[in-house]
Amino acid sequence: MSMPSVEVVKNHEHIKKTEEKKQNSFFAKFKQIYLGPIIAFVVFIAIWQAVPLLLGLKHYILPKPTDVVSAAIEDWHLLWPAVQITVVESVVGFLVSAVVGILVSILLATSKILERSIYPYAIILQTIPVVAVAPIVVIWFGAGYNSIVVISFLIGFFPVISNTLMGLNSVDKNMDELFTLYNASKWQRMWKLRLPAALPYMMAGLKISCTLSIVGAIVGEYIAGIGGGKGGLGYSITVAAIQVKTSYLFACGIAAAILGIGFYLLVSLFANLMLRSWHESAMKVDK
Amino acid sequence: MATVQKDVVSFQHVSKVFNGETIALSDFNLSIDEGEFLSFLGPSGCGKSTALRLVAGLGNATQGTVKVFNEPPKQIVQNTNDIAFVFQDANLLPWRTVLDNVLLPLELRGGNKKEQKKEAIRVLEMVGLKEHVKAYPRQLSGGMKMRVSIARALAAKPKMLLMDEPFGALDEITRQTLQLELLDIWKKEDMTILFVTHNVFEAVFLSTRIAVMSARPGRLSSTIDVELPFPRQLSIRTNQKFTDYVDVASDSLENSSEQRELV
Ligand SMILES: Nc1ncnc2c1ncn2[C@@H]1O[C@H](COP(=O)(O)OP(=O)(O)O)[C@@H](O)[C@H]1O
Ligand SMILES: [Mg+2]
Repeated sequence: MSMPSVEVVKNHEHIKKTEEKKQNSFFAKFKQIYLGPIIAFVVFIAIWQAVPLLLGLKHYILPKPTDVVSAAIEDWHLLWPAVQITVVESVVGFLVSAVVGILVSILLATSKILERSIYPYAIILQTIPVVAVAPIVVIWFGAGYNSIVVISFLIGFFPVISNTLMGLNSVDKNMDELFTLYNASKWQRMWKLRLPAALPYMMAGLKISCTLSIVGAIVGEYIAGIGGGKGGLGYSITVAAIQVKTSYLFACGIAAAILGIGFYLLVSLFANLMLRSWHESAMKVDK
Repeated sequence: MATVQKDVVSFQHVSKVFNGETIALSDFNLSIDEGEFLSFLGPSGCGKSTALRLVAGLGNATQGTVKVFNEPPKQIVQNTNDIAFVFQDANLLPWRTVLDNVLLPLELRGGNKKEQKKEAIRVLEMVGLKEHVKAYPRQLSGGMKMRVSIARALAAKPKMLLMDEPFGALDEITRQTLQLELLDIWKKEDMTILFVTHNVFEAVFLSTRIAVMSARPGRLSSTIDVELPFPRQLSIRTNQKFTDYVDVASDSLENSSEQRELV
Protein backbone atom coordinates (compact mmCIF):
# COMPACT_ATOMS: atom_id res chain seq x y z
CA MET A 1 0.00 0.00 0.00
CA SER A 2 2.98 2.29 0.41
CA MET A 3 3.78 2.11 -3.26
CA PRO A 4 1.66 5.07 -4.40
CA SER A 5 3.13 7.52 -1.88
CA VAL A 6 6.61 6.60 -2.99
CA GLU A 7 5.63 7.36 -6.51
CA VAL A 8 4.26 10.75 -5.50
CA VAL A 9 7.54 11.70 -3.84
CA LYS A 10 9.41 10.58 -6.89
CA ASN A 11 7.18 12.69 -9.05
CA HIS A 12 7.90 15.78 -6.97
CA GLU A 13 11.60 15.28 -7.27
CA HIS A 14 11.17 14.72 -10.91
CA ILE A 15 9.32 17.99 -11.40
CA LYS A 16 11.94 19.93 -9.46
CA LYS A 17 14.69 18.42 -11.50
CA THR A 18 13.06 19.22 -14.79
CA GLU A 19 12.56 22.83 -13.72
CA GLU A 20 16.22 23.22 -12.89
CA LYS A 21 17.08 21.54 -16.09
CA LYS A 22 14.97 23.92 -18.13
CA GLN A 23 16.91 26.94 -16.83
CA ASN A 24 20.24 25.38 -17.47
CA SER A 25 19.41 23.50 -20.55
CA PHE A 26 19.69 26.45 -22.93
CA PHE A 27 23.20 27.36 -21.82
CA ALA A 28 24.22 23.75 -21.52
CA LYS A 29 23.03 23.02 -25.02
CA PHE A 30 24.58 26.22 -26.32
CA LYS A 31 27.90 25.33 -24.75
CA GLN A 32 27.77 21.76 -25.95
CA ILE A 33 26.73 22.28 -29.53
CA TYR A 34 27.40 25.83 -30.70
CA LEU A 35 30.21 27.26 -28.61
CA GLY A 36 32.94 25.04 -30.08
CA PRO A 37 32.15 25.73 -33.74
CA ILE A 38 31.74 29.48 -33.07
CA ILE A 39 35.15 29.74 -31.41
CA ALA A 40 36.72 27.71 -34.21
CA PHE A 41 35.13 30.03 -36.77
CA VAL A 42 36.36 33.19 -35.07
CA VAL A 43 39.86 31.78 -34.70
CA PHE A 44 39.88 30.70 -38.34
CA ILE A 45 38.81 34.15 -39.57
CA ALA A 46 41.38 35.84 -37.32
CA ILE A 47 44.21 33.67 -38.67
CA TRP A 48 43.01 34.22 -42.21
CA GLN A 49 42.99 37.96 -41.60
CA ALA A 50 46.48 37.85 -40.02
CA VAL A 51 48.33 35.63 -42.49
CA PRO A 52 48.26 37.92 -45.57
CA LEU A 53 49.26 40.85 -43.37
CA LEU A 54 52.15 39.01 -41.71
CA LEU A 55 53.46 37.42 -44.92
CA GLY A 56 52.81 40.55 -46.95
CA LEU A 57 50.69 38.66 -49.52
CA LYS A 58 48.98 40.71 -52.23
CA HIS A 59 45.18 40.74 -52.17
CA TYR A 60 45.01 39.02 -55.58
CA ILE A 61 46.98 36.06 -54.17
CA LEU A 62 45.16 35.68 -50.84
CA PRO A 63 42.54 38.29 -49.99
CA LYS A 64 41.75 38.98 -46.36
CA PRO A 65 38.21 38.32 -45.09
CA THR A 66 37.63 42.06 -45.03
CA ASP A 67 38.66 42.24 -48.72
CA VAL A 68 36.18 39.48 -49.54
CA VAL A 69 33.35 41.22 -47.72
CA SER A 70 34.03 44.56 -49.37
CA ALA A 71 34.29 42.88 -52.80
CA ALA A 72 30.92 41.21 -52.20
CA ILE A 73 29.34 44.57 -51.21
CA GLU A 74 30.95 46.45 -54.06
CA ASP A 75 29.91 43.96 -56.73
CA TRP A 76 26.61 43.03 -55.10
CA HIS A 77 24.78 44.11 -58.27
CA LEU A 78 26.69 41.33 -60.08
CA LEU A 79 26.76 38.73 -57.34
CA TRP A 80 23.09 38.74 -56.39
CA PRO A 81 21.68 38.15 -59.93
CA ALA A 82 24.32 35.43 -60.45
CA VAL A 83 23.17 33.68 -57.27
CA GLN A 84 19.54 33.91 -58.37
CA ILE A 85 20.31 32.39 -61.77
CA THR A 86 22.26 29.50 -60.25
CA VAL A 87 19.46 28.87 -57.76
CA VAL A 88 16.90 28.58 -60.54
CA GLU A 89 19.11 26.31 -62.62
CA SER A 90 19.96 23.96 -59.79
CA VAL A 91 16.41 23.84 -58.43
CA VAL A 92 15.06 22.95 -61.86
CA GLY A 93 17.86 20.42 -62.36
CA PHE A 94 17.11 18.92 -58.95
CA LEU A 95 13.35 18.74 -59.52
CA VAL A 96 13.85 17.06 -62.88
CA SER A 97 16.28 14.52 -61.41
CA ALA A 98 13.89 13.85 -58.52
CA VAL A 99 10.84 13.31 -60.73
CA VAL A 100 12.62 11.39 -63.47
CA GLY A 101 14.67 9.41 -60.95
CA ILE A 102 11.63 8.31 -58.97
CA LEU A 103 9.57 7.48 -62.06
CA VAL A 104 12.39 5.47 -63.64
CA SER A 105 12.94 3.62 -60.35
CA ILE A 106 9.26 2.69 -60.16
CA LEU A 107 9.34 1.52 -63.75
CA LEU A 108 12.46 -0.58 -63.17
CA ALA A 109 11.10 -1.97 -59.91
CA THR A 110 7.89 -3.22 -61.51
CA SER A 111 9.78 -5.73 -63.59
CA LYS A 112 12.79 -7.73 -62.46
CA ILE A 113 13.74 -8.35 -66.09
CA LEU A 114 13.69 -4.66 -66.87
CA GLU A 115 15.74 -3.87 -63.79
CA ARG A 116 18.32 -6.55 -64.52
CA SER A 117 18.75 -5.44 -68.11
CA ILE A 118 18.78 -1.68 -67.66
CA TYR A 119 20.20 -0.94 -64.20
CA PRO A 120 23.77 -2.06 -65.06
CA TYR A 121 23.87 0.58 -67.79
CA ALA A 122 22.65 3.20 -65.36
CA ILE A 123 25.64 2.34 -63.17
CA ILE A 124 28.05 2.48 -66.11
CA LEU A 125 26.60 5.81 -67.23
CA GLN A 126 27.14 7.11 -63.73
CA THR A 127 30.88 6.35 -63.86
CA ILE A 128 31.33 8.55 -66.96
CA PRO A 129 32.51 11.94 -65.68
CA VAL A 130 29.83 14.45 -66.53
CA VAL A 131 32.49 17.06 -67.29
CA ALA A 132 33.62 14.82 -70.15
CA VAL A 133 30.19 14.61 -71.78
CA ALA A 134 29.15 18.18 -71.00
CA PRO A 135 30.38 19.57 -74.35
CA ILE A 136 28.13 17.03 -76.11
CA VAL A 137 25.23 18.27 -74.04
CA VAL A 138 26.06 21.81 -75.16
CA ILE A 139 26.07 20.72 -78.81
CA TRP A 140 22.66 19.11 -78.37
CA PHE A 141 20.93 21.67 -76.19
CA GLY A 142 22.78 24.84 -77.15
CA ALA A 143 24.84 27.12 -74.92
CA GLY A 144 23.09 28.44 -71.82
CA TYR A 145 20.18 27.60 -69.57
CA ASN A 146 18.93 24.34 -71.14
CA SER A 147 22.34 22.69 -71.20
CA ILE A 148 23.10 23.80 -67.66
CA VAL A 149 19.87 22.29 -66.37
CA VAL A 150 20.58 19.05 -68.25
CA ILE A 151 24.09 18.83 -66.78
CA SER A 152 22.73 19.52 -63.30
CA PHE A 153 20.12 16.81 -63.88
CA LEU A 154 22.73 14.30 -65.10
CA ILE A 155 24.75 14.74 -61.92
CA GLY A 156 21.80 14.71 -59.51
CA PHE A 157 19.80 11.93 -61.13
CA PHE A 158 21.72 8.81 -60.18
CA PRO A 159 21.61 9.03 -56.36
CA VAL A 160 17.82 9.31 -56.59
CA ILE A 161 17.56 6.18 -58.75
CA SER A 162 19.99 4.04 -56.80
CA ASN A 163 18.49 4.94 -53.42
CA THR A 164 14.85 4.68 -54.48
CA LEU A 165 15.44 1.38 -56.21
CA MET A 166 17.19 0.02 -53.14
CA GLY A 167 14.22 1.12 -51.04
CA LEU A 168 11.66 -0.39 -53.38
CA ASN A 169 13.49 -3.71 -53.19
CA SER A 170 14.00 -3.67 -49.44
CA VAL A 171 10.44 -4.54 -48.43
CA ASP A 172 10.18 -6.77 -45.38
CA LYS A 173 9.39 -10.36 -46.34
CA ASN A 174 6.55 -10.76 -43.86
CA MET A 175 4.87 -7.58 -45.06
CA ASP A 176 5.18 -8.79 -48.61
CA GLU A 177 3.52 -12.06 -47.64
CA LEU A 178 0.75 -10.17 -45.89
CA PHE A 179 -0.05 -8.52 -49.21
CA THR A 180 0.08 -11.89 -50.95
CA LEU A 181 -2.44 -13.26 -48.45
CA TYR A 182 -4.83 -10.45 -49.30
CA ASN A 183 -4.32 -11.08 -52.99
CA ALA A 184 -2.98 -7.56 -53.60
CA SER A 185 -2.39 -6.53 -57.19
CA LYS A 186 0.99 -5.42 -58.44
CA TRP A 187 -0.01 -1.76 -58.29
CA GLN A 188 -1.61 -2.03 -54.86
CA ARG A 189 1.66 -3.52 -53.69
CA MET A 190 3.57 -0.63 -55.27
CA TRP A 191 1.40 2.16 -53.84
CA LYS A 192 0.54 0.74 -50.46
CA LEU A 193 3.71 -1.17 -49.62
CA ARG A 194 6.81 -0.64 -51.73
CA LEU A 195 6.68 3.13 -52.17
CA PRO A 196 5.95 3.94 -48.52
CA ALA A 197 8.64 1.47 -47.48
CA ALA A 198 11.06 3.15 -49.88
CA LEU A 199 10.32 6.66 -48.65
CA PRO A 200 13.24 6.94 -46.20
CA TYR A 201 15.64 5.71 -48.89
CA MET A 202 14.12 8.08 -51.41
CA MET A 203 14.60 11.01 -49.05
CA ALA A 204 18.23 10.05 -48.46
CA GLY A 205 18.69 10.04 -52.24
CA LEU A 206 17.11 13.48 -52.59
CA LYS A 207 19.40 14.90 -49.92
CA ILE A 208 22.47 13.73 -51.82
CA SER A 209 21.05 14.85 -55.12
CA CYS A 210 20.24 18.41 -54.06
CA THR A 211 23.83 19.38 -53.29
CA LEU A 212 25.04 17.61 -56.42
CA SER A 213 22.59 19.57 -58.52
CA ILE A 214 24.29 22.81 -57.45
CA VAL A 215 27.67 21.36 -58.38
CA GLY A 216 26.09 20.39 -61.69
CA ALA A 217 24.73 23.88 -62.32
CA ILE A 218 28.07 25.57 -61.59
CA VAL A 219 30.04 23.08 -63.69
CA GLY A 220 27.41 23.54 -66.40
CA GLU A 221 27.95 27.30 -66.31
CA TYR A 222 31.72 26.85 -66.68
CA ILE A 223 31.15 24.90 -69.86
CA ALA A 224 27.89 26.14 -71.29
CA GLY A 225 28.48 29.82 -70.50
CA ILE A 226 25.61 32.25 -70.61
CA GLY A 227 23.99 31.98 -74.02
CA GLY A 228 22.23 35.30 -73.85
CA GLY A 229 21.08 37.07 -70.70
CA LYS A 230 23.18 37.10 -67.52
CA GLY A 231 25.36 34.30 -66.21
CA GLY A 232 25.14 32.46 -62.93
CA LEU A 233 27.77 31.90 -60.22
CA GLY A 234 29.85 29.55 -62.37
CA TYR A 235 30.03 32.13 -65.12
CA SER A 236 30.93 34.87 -62.65
CA ILE A 237 33.68 32.67 -61.28
CA THR A 238 35.25 32.11 -64.71
CA VAL A 239 35.08 35.81 -65.51
CA ALA A 240 36.50 36.82 -62.11
CA ALA A 241 39.33 34.31 -62.54
CA ILE A 242 40.29 35.74 -65.94
CA GLN A 243 40.28 39.27 -64.51
CA VAL A 244 42.18 38.10 -61.40
CA LYS A 245 39.46 39.57 -59.15
CA THR A 246 40.50 37.17 -56.40
CA SER A 247 38.45 38.78 -53.63
CA TYR A 248 35.29 38.56 -55.72
CA LEU A 249 36.22 34.97 -56.63
CA PHE A 250 36.26 34.14 -52.92
CA ALA A 251 32.92 35.85 -52.45
CA CYS A 252 31.43 33.71 -55.26
CA GLY A 253 32.85 30.53 -53.75
CA ILE A 254 31.41 31.36 -50.35
CA ALA A 255 28.05 32.23 -51.93
CA ALA A 256 28.03 28.81 -53.65
CA ALA A 257 28.80 27.11 -50.34
CA ILE A 258 25.97 28.94 -48.57
CA LEU A 259 23.67 28.01 -51.41
CA GLY A 260 24.59 24.33 -51.07
CA ILE A 261 24.08 24.30 -47.31
CA GLY A 262 20.78 26.17 -47.58
CA PHE A 263 19.44 23.84 -50.24
CA TYR A 264 20.50 20.79 -48.23
CA LEU A 265 18.79 22.07 -45.08
CA LEU A 266 15.62 22.81 -47.04
CA VAL A 267 15.49 19.32 -48.53
CA SER A 268 16.27 17.78 -45.13
CA LEU A 269 13.37 19.71 -43.65
CA PHE A 270 11.10 18.40 -46.38
CA ALA A 271 12.40 14.85 -45.78
CA ASN A 272 11.69 15.09 -42.06
CA LEU A 273 8.17 16.31 -42.77
CA MET A 274 7.54 13.41 -45.11
CA LEU A 275 8.86 10.90 -42.58
CA ARG A 276 7.32 12.52 -39.54
CA SER A 277 4.92 9.67 -38.91
CA TRP A 278 7.57 7.01 -38.68
CA HIS A 279 10.98 8.57 -38.04
CA GLU A 280 12.21 5.36 -36.44
CA SER A 281 12.84 3.82 -39.81
CA ALA A 282 13.99 7.13 -41.23
CA MET A 283 16.80 7.19 -38.74
CA LYS A 284 17.85 3.68 -39.65
CA VAL A 285 18.67 4.83 -43.16
CA ASP A 286 20.22 8.13 -42.22
CA LYS A 287 22.96 6.57 -40.11
CA MET B 1 -25.90 -24.67 -33.76
CA ALA B 2 -25.40 -25.49 -37.41
CA THR B 3 -23.79 -28.78 -38.33
CA VAL B 4 -20.05 -28.76 -38.01
CA GLN B 5 -18.20 -28.98 -41.27
CA LYS B 6 -15.66 -31.79 -41.24
CA ASP B 7 -12.13 -31.53 -42.53
CA VAL B 8 -11.95 -27.79 -43.19
CA VAL B 9 -8.22 -28.41 -43.31
CA SER B 10 -6.64 -31.64 -44.41
CA PHE B 11 -3.02 -32.69 -44.77
CA GLN B 12 -2.61 -35.92 -46.73
CA HIS B 13 0.85 -37.46 -46.83
CA VAL B 14 2.34 -34.02 -46.97
CA SER B 15 6.06 -33.54 -47.09
CA LYS B 16 7.99 -30.37 -47.60
CA VAL B 17 11.66 -30.28 -48.52
CA PHE B 18 13.59 -27.02 -48.74
CA ASN B 19 16.42 -26.68 -51.25
CA GLY B 20 16.36 -30.43 -51.86
CA GLU B 21 17.96 -31.11 -48.47
CA THR B 22 16.09 -29.76 -45.43
CA ILE B 23 13.14 -32.02 -44.70
CA ALA B 24 10.77 -29.70 -42.86
CA LEU B 25 7.75 -32.02 -42.98
CA SER B 26 7.61 -35.72 -43.69
CA ASP B 27 4.47 -37.75 -44.37
CA PHE B 28 2.31 -35.36 -42.38
CA ASN B 29 -1.35 -36.34 -41.99
CA LEU B 30 -3.97 -34.33 -40.13
CA SER B 31 -7.60 -33.33 -40.49
CA ILE B 32 -9.16 -30.39 -38.72
CA ASP B 33 -12.87 -29.77 -38.25
CA GLU B 34 -14.73 -26.51 -38.27
CA GLY B 35 -14.66 -24.64 -34.97
CA GLU B 36 -11.62 -26.40 -33.55
CA PHE B 37 -8.90 -24.55 -31.71
CA LEU B 38 -5.96 -26.64 -32.76
CA SER B 39 -2.43 -25.99 -31.56
CA PHE B 40 0.71 -27.23 -33.25
CA LEU B 41 3.10 -27.95 -30.41
CA GLY B 42 6.74 -28.88 -30.86
CA PRO B 43 10.37 -27.88 -30.48
CA SER B 44 11.67 -25.16 -32.76
CA GLY B 45 12.60 -26.34 -36.21
CA CYS B 46 10.05 -29.16 -36.27
CA GLY B 47 8.07 -27.64 -39.12
CA LYS B 48 5.20 -25.92 -37.29
CA SER B 49 5.51 -22.72 -39.27
CA THR B 50 5.97 -24.67 -42.46
CA ALA B 51 2.70 -26.54 -41.85
CA LEU B 52 0.82 -23.34 -41.06
CA ARG B 53 2.22 -21.56 -44.10
CA LEU B 54 1.11 -24.40 -46.34
CA VAL B 55 -2.44 -23.90 -45.07
CA ALA B 56 -2.15 -20.20 -46.01
CA GLY B 57 -0.88 -21.07 -49.47
CA LEU B 58 2.53 -19.54 -48.72
CA GLY B 59 4.57 -22.21 -50.45
CA ASN B 60 3.67 -25.57 -51.97
CA ALA B 61 3.90 -29.07 -50.56
CA THR B 62 6.73 -31.06 -52.10
CA GLN B 63 4.57 -34.19 -51.92
CA GLY B 64 1.00 -34.92 -50.87
CA THR B 65 -1.90 -32.50 -50.77
CA VAL B 66 -3.08 -29.75 -48.46
CA LYS B 67 -6.70 -28.72 -48.78
CA VAL B 68 -8.59 -25.92 -47.09
CA PHE B 69 -12.38 -25.97 -47.36
CA ASN B 70 -11.81 -28.79 -49.87
CA GLU B 71 -9.84 -26.57 -52.19
CA PRO B 72 -6.17 -25.80 -52.77
CA PRO B 73 -5.13 -23.10 -50.26
CA LYS B 74 -3.91 -20.71 -52.96
CA GLN B 75 -7.35 -20.74 -54.53
CA ILE B 76 -9.00 -19.88 -51.22
CA VAL B 77 -6.56 -17.05 -50.58
CA GLN B 78 -7.10 -15.61 -54.04
CA ASN B 79 -10.87 -15.80 -54.12
CA THR B 80 -12.06 -15.32 -50.55
CA ASN B 81 -11.39 -13.64 -47.22
CA ASP B 82 -11.73 -16.95 -45.43
CA ILE B 83 -8.17 -17.24 -44.16
CA ALA B 84 -6.29 -14.70 -42.07
CA PHE B 85 -2.72 -15.00 -40.83
CA VAL B 86 -1.20 -13.48 -37.70
CA PHE B 87 2.58 -13.27 -37.76
CA GLN B 88 4.84 -13.60 -34.75
CA ASP B 89 6.06 -10.02 -34.84
CA ALA B 90 2.91 -8.00 -35.29
CA ASN B 91 4.01 -7.11 -38.84
CA LEU B 92 2.28 -3.72 -38.88
CA LEU B 93 3.03 -1.10 -41.52
CA PRO B 94 4.96 1.60 -39.60
CA TRP B 95 3.70 4.43 -41.80
CA ARG B 96 0.03 3.66 -41.13
CA THR B 97 -1.97 4.48 -38.03
CA VAL B 98 -3.67 1.74 -36.05
CA LEU B 99 -6.93 2.34 -37.89
CA ASP B 100 -5.27 2.39 -41.31
CA ASN B 101 -3.40 -0.82 -40.53
CA VAL B 102 -6.67 -2.54 -39.70
CA LEU B 103 -8.26 -1.07 -42.82
CA LEU B 104 -5.55 -2.50 -45.06
CA PRO B 105 -7.13 -5.89 -45.84
CA LEU B 106 -10.46 -4.18 -46.51
CA GLU B 107 -8.84 -1.61 -48.79
CA LEU B 108 -7.07 -4.30 -50.76
CA ARG B 109 -10.35 -6.12 -51.32
CA GLY B 110 -12.19 -2.93 -52.27
CA GLY B 111 -15.72 -1.88 -51.37
CA ASN B 112 -17.61 0.81 -49.52
CA LYS B 113 -15.25 3.04 -47.53
CA LYS B 114 -17.77 3.91 -44.83
CA GLU B 115 -18.63 0.30 -44.14
CA GLN B 116 -14.95 -0.60 -44.09
CA LYS B 117 -14.35 1.98 -41.42
CA LYS B 118 -17.29 0.74 -39.37
CA GLU B 119 -15.97 -2.79 -39.54
CA ALA B 120 -12.45 -1.67 -38.58
CA ILE B 121 -13.80 0.19 -35.56
CA ARG B 122 -15.82 -2.85 -34.56
CA VAL B 123 -12.80 -5.16 -34.48
CA LEU B 124 -10.63 -2.53 -32.78
CA GLU B 125 -13.29 -2.25 -30.11
CA MET B 126 -13.22 -6.01 -29.71
CA VAL B 127 -9.48 -5.96 -28.94
CA GLY B 128 -9.86 -2.92 -26.66
CA LEU B 129 -8.01 -0.42 -28.81
CA LYS B 130 -10.75 1.98 -29.76
CA GLU B 131 -8.94 4.85 -28.04
CA HIS B 132 -5.74 4.31 -29.98
CA VAL B 133 -7.00 4.37 -33.55
CA LYS B 134 -4.85 7.39 -34.43
CA ALA B 135 -1.62 6.09 -32.88
CA TYR B 136 1.29 4.84 -34.94
CA PRO B 137 2.75 1.38 -34.32
CA ARG B 138 5.96 2.78 -32.81
CA GLN B 139 3.88 4.39 -30.06
CA LEU B 140 2.42 1.04 -28.96
CA SER B 141 3.68 -1.66 -26.63
CA GLY B 142 4.30 -5.18 -27.90
CA GLY B 143 0.96 -6.40 -26.57
CA MET B 144 -0.95 -3.55 -28.18
CA LYS B 145 0.79 -4.15 -31.50
CA MET B 146 -0.28 -7.77 -31.36
CA ARG B 147 -3.85 -6.66 -30.62
CA VAL B 148 -3.79 -4.47 -33.72
CA SER B 149 -2.46 -7.39 -35.70
CA ILE B 150 -5.30 -9.60 -34.47
CA ALA B 151 -7.83 -6.88 -35.24
CA ARG B 152 -6.43 -6.59 -38.75
CA ALA B 153 -6.80 -10.33 -39.21
CA LEU B 154 -10.39 -10.21 -37.98
CA ALA B 155 -11.33 -7.20 -40.10
CA ALA B 156 -12.05 -9.20 -43.24
CA LYS B 157 -14.26 -11.63 -41.27
CA PRO B 158 -12.24 -14.80 -41.87
CA LYS B 159 -13.58 -18.27 -41.16
CA MET B 160 -10.16 -19.43 -40.15
CA LEU B 161 -7.39 -17.75 -38.21
CA LEU B 162 -3.80 -18.97 -38.54
CA MET B 163 -1.46 -17.76 -35.81
CA ASP B 164 2.28 -18.41 -35.77
CA GLU B 165 3.57 -18.03 -32.20
CA PRO B 166 1.69 -14.75 -31.86
CA PHE B 167 2.42 -14.34 -28.16
CA GLY B 168 5.97 -15.66 -28.24
CA ALA B 169 7.61 -12.27 -27.80
CA LEU B 170 5.31 -10.97 -25.04
CA ASP B 171 5.77 -10.91 -21.29
CA GLU B 172 3.86 -13.46 -19.25
CA ILE B 173 1.14 -11.13 -17.95
CA THR B 174 0.34 -9.62 -21.34
CA ARG B 175 0.40 -13.09 -22.82
CA GLN B 176 -2.21 -14.34 -20.32
CA THR B 177 -4.50 -11.40 -21.00
CA LEU B 178 -4.26 -11.93 -24.72
CA GLN B 179 -4.88 -15.66 -24.36
CA LEU B 180 -8.16 -14.95 -22.55
CA GLU B 181 -9.15 -12.36 -25.13
CA LEU B 182 -8.34 -14.71 -27.96
CA LEU B 183 -10.60 -17.39 -26.50
CA ASP B 184 -13.38 -14.79 -26.24
CA ILE B 185 -12.90 -13.76 -29.85
CA TRP B 186 -12.82 -17.38 -30.99
CA LYS B 187 -16.22 -17.98 -29.38
CA LYS B 188 -17.73 -14.70 -30.57
CA GLU B 189 -16.57 -14.87 -34.16
CA ASP B 190 -17.22 -18.57 -34.63
CA MET B 191 -13.88 -19.38 -36.20
CA THR B 192 -11.51 -22.25 -36.62
CA ILE B 193 -8.12 -21.35 -35.15
CA LEU B 194 -4.79 -22.99 -35.97
CA PHE B 195 -2.24 -21.86 -33.42
CA VAL B 196 1.50 -22.51 -33.38
CA THR B 197 3.34 -22.57 -30.08
CA HIS B 198 6.24 -24.27 -28.34
CA ASN B 199 4.72 -23.58 -24.92
CA VAL B 200 2.95 -26.61 -23.40
CA PHE B 201 0.86 -24.56 -20.94
CA GLU B 202 -0.31 -22.24 -23.67
CA ALA B 203 -1.28 -25.16 -25.90
CA VAL B 204 -3.31 -26.88 -23.16
CA PHE B 205 -4.94 -23.69 -21.97
CA LEU B 206 -6.17 -22.59 -25.37
CA SER B 207 -6.80 -25.68 -27.43
CA THR B 208 -9.53 -28.14 -28.06
CA ARG B 209 -6.89 -30.34 -29.64
CA ILE B 210 -3.10 -30.38 -29.71
CA ALA B 211 -1.01 -31.72 -32.56
CA VAL B 212 2.34 -32.67 -31.04
CA MET B 213 5.17 -32.62 -33.56
CA SER B 214 8.70 -33.98 -33.56
CA ALA B 215 11.74 -32.61 -35.36
CA ARG B 216 14.16 -33.89 -37.95
CA PRO B 217 12.26 -34.82 -39.94
CA GLY B 218 9.14 -32.87 -38.96
CA ARG B 219 6.38 -35.35 -38.19
CA LEU B 220 3.10 -35.47 -36.36
CA SER B 221 3.85 -37.63 -33.33
CA SER B 222 0.42 -37.58 -31.65
CA THR B 223 -2.74 -35.59 -31.17
CA ILE B 224 -4.31 -34.87 -27.79
CA ASP B 225 -7.95 -33.92 -27.29
CA VAL B 226 -8.15 -31.39 -24.48
CA GLU B 227 -11.52 -31.89 -22.87
CA LEU B 228 -11.54 -28.99 -20.49
CA PRO B 229 -14.75 -26.96 -20.43
CA PHE B 230 -15.10 -23.46 -21.87
CA PRO B 231 -15.06 -20.62 -20.96
CA ARG B 232 -11.66 -21.21 -19.43
CA GLN B 233 -10.35 -18.98 -16.65
CA LEU B 234 -6.74 -18.49 -15.61
CA SER B 235 -7.53 -20.39 -12.39
CA ILE B 236 -7.92 -23.54 -14.45
CA ARG B 237 -4.15 -23.79 -14.45
CA THR B 238 -4.09 -25.17 -10.93
CA ASN B 239 -6.86 -27.66 -11.73
CA GLN B 240 -5.79 -31.33 -11.55
CA LYS B 241 -7.19 -32.09 -14.99
CA PHE B 242 -5.25 -29.20 -16.50
CA THR B 243 -1.96 -30.36 -15.03
CA ASP B 244 -2.72 -33.90 -16.20
CA TYR B 245 -3.03 -32.62 -19.75
CA VAL B 246 0.19 -30.69 -19.38
CA ASP B 247 1.90 -33.90 -18.26
CA VAL B 248 0.49 -35.86 -21.19
CA ALA B 249 1.58 -33.20 -23.67
CA SER B 250 5.05 -32.88 -22.11
CA ASP B 251 5.51 -36.66 -22.17
CA SER B 252 4.45 -36.76 -25.76
CA LEU B 253 6.96 -34.02 -26.59
CA GLU B 254 9.74 -35.83 -24.75
CA ASN B 255 8.99 -39.14 -26.42
CA SER B 256 9.12 -37.52 -29.79
CA SER B 257 12.49 -35.98 -29.08
CA GLU B 258 13.83 -39.29 -27.74
CA GLN B 259 12.75 -40.93 -30.92
CA ARG B 260 14.75 -38.34 -32.72
CA GLU B 261 17.86 -39.17 -30.75
CA LEU B 262 17.50 -42.87 -31.50
CA VAL B 263 17.32 -42.25 -35.21
N1 LIG C 1 12.38 -20.85 -46.49
C1 LIG C 1 13.14 -21.83 -45.99
N2 LIG C 1 14.26 -22.23 -46.66
C2 LIG C 1 15.03 -23.22 -46.18
N3 LIG C 1 14.78 -23.90 -45.05
C3 LIG C 1 13.69 -23.56 -44.34
C4 LIG C 1 12.82 -22.50 -44.78
N4 LIG C 1 11.81 -22.39 -43.88
C5 LIG C 1 12.05 -23.32 -42.94
N5 LIG C 1 13.16 -24.03 -43.20
C6 LIG C 1 13.69 -25.14 -42.40
O1 LIG C 1 12.66 -26.07 -42.19
C7 LIG C 1 12.69 -26.56 -40.85
C8 LIG C 1 11.37 -26.28 -40.19
O2 LIG C 1 11.22 -24.87 -40.03
P1 LIG C 1 9.94 -24.21 -39.37
O3 LIG C 1 8.73 -24.70 -40.03
O4 LIG C 1 10.17 -22.74 -39.40
O5 LIG C 1 10.02 -24.73 -37.88
P2 LIG C 1 9.28 -24.21 -36.57
O6 LIG C 1 8.29 -23.17 -36.96
O7 LIG C 1 8.66 -25.42 -35.95
O8 LIG C 1 10.34 -23.67 -35.68
C9 LIG C 1 13.87 -25.90 -40.17
O9 LIG C 1 14.96 -26.78 -40.19
C10 LIG C 1 14.14 -24.68 -41.02
O10 LIG C 1 15.50 -24.39 -41.02
MG1 LIG D 1 8.23 -21.11 -36.48
